[in-house]
Amino acid sequence: MAHIQPPGVPIERGKIHEFANAILDDHPLYHDVVAATDAGLPSVVAPPTFSAVAAFFAGGGAGPGSALEGLDLRFLLHGGQELIFERPLFAGDVLHAEAGEVRTYAKEGRRGGTMRFVETETVYRDAAGAVVVRVINTLIQTAGVVTE
Amino acid sequence: MMSGAFESIEVGETRSFTIDEVTRTHFVKYAGAGGDFNPIHHDQTFAEQAGLPTVFGMGMFTAGVLSRIVAHWFGPQSVRRYKIRFSSRIWPGDRLTCSGRALRVYEEVGRRHVDLELVATNQKGEELIRAEATCRPWQPE
Repeated sequence: MAHIQPPGVPIERGKIHEFANAILDDHPLYHDVVAATDAGLPSVVAPPTFSAVAAFFAGGGAGPGSALEGLDLRFLLHGGQELIFERPLFAGDVLHAEAGEVRTYAKEGRRGGTMRFVETETVYRDAAGAVVVRVINTLIQTAGVVTE
Repeated sequence: MMSGAFESIEVGETRSFTIDEVTRTHFVKYAGAGGDFNPIHHDQTFAEQAGLPTVFGMGMFTAGVLSRIVAHWFGPQSVRRYKIRFSSRIWPGDRLTCSGRALRVYEEVGRRHVDLELVATNQKGEELIRAEATCRPWQPE
């Protein structure tokens, strides 16, 4: 199945509602457009970690051509993520992802042998080209199963 | 909007909440909502083949739940920075406790900023995530 790269990721109210439910958050600014506009916002706000959705939409899923291609999903850990917002993300925005530098480095782990770190930076811009959020993501490929 | 939380915040203030039982259904709902279909998070057979007892939750699921602390304290539009470091995995049946503490309150570019430390732990007191956040009132350009 070919992976279709969309020209931009439309941020939709329904998706924000679904995502906020999935992180068990009933904050009215995620779900209620009237509450949001009453608070002086253009529409409902996306939760801080919502850009993960845009990342998968833009090709970060587990399919061919994705950022996960070539990594062994059985032994892949998520090390961390840093999100830096220039402004909140709102329903109605259209995000454009711009892949930045990919850094890979290896470290000797205590539990899983050699660990390969894959650090990616993605800049998300709005329709006007202004930066909304920068995301620095770290994945760790371990040599085998990590037991705790 | 200058939220009252920014005016009254003091260093050392805390917030917390607990999810009594995290389930596989939570992971599946997050997979659908967030787009993470790595089978290690929903497919028992795949998890067992990888040598694990069962599926485990996405780090970003727990990070999302943890972000509720800042969203409800200062408003979700107020988040300037959220830095997450994953320490341990979350398993079905875990009790998830999320807590936050104000570390620093300061003025920058004419706006009040608050730096926070956030932690998610399980029922054994093990740290699942440690995070840093910075909040400041949002002003439209």
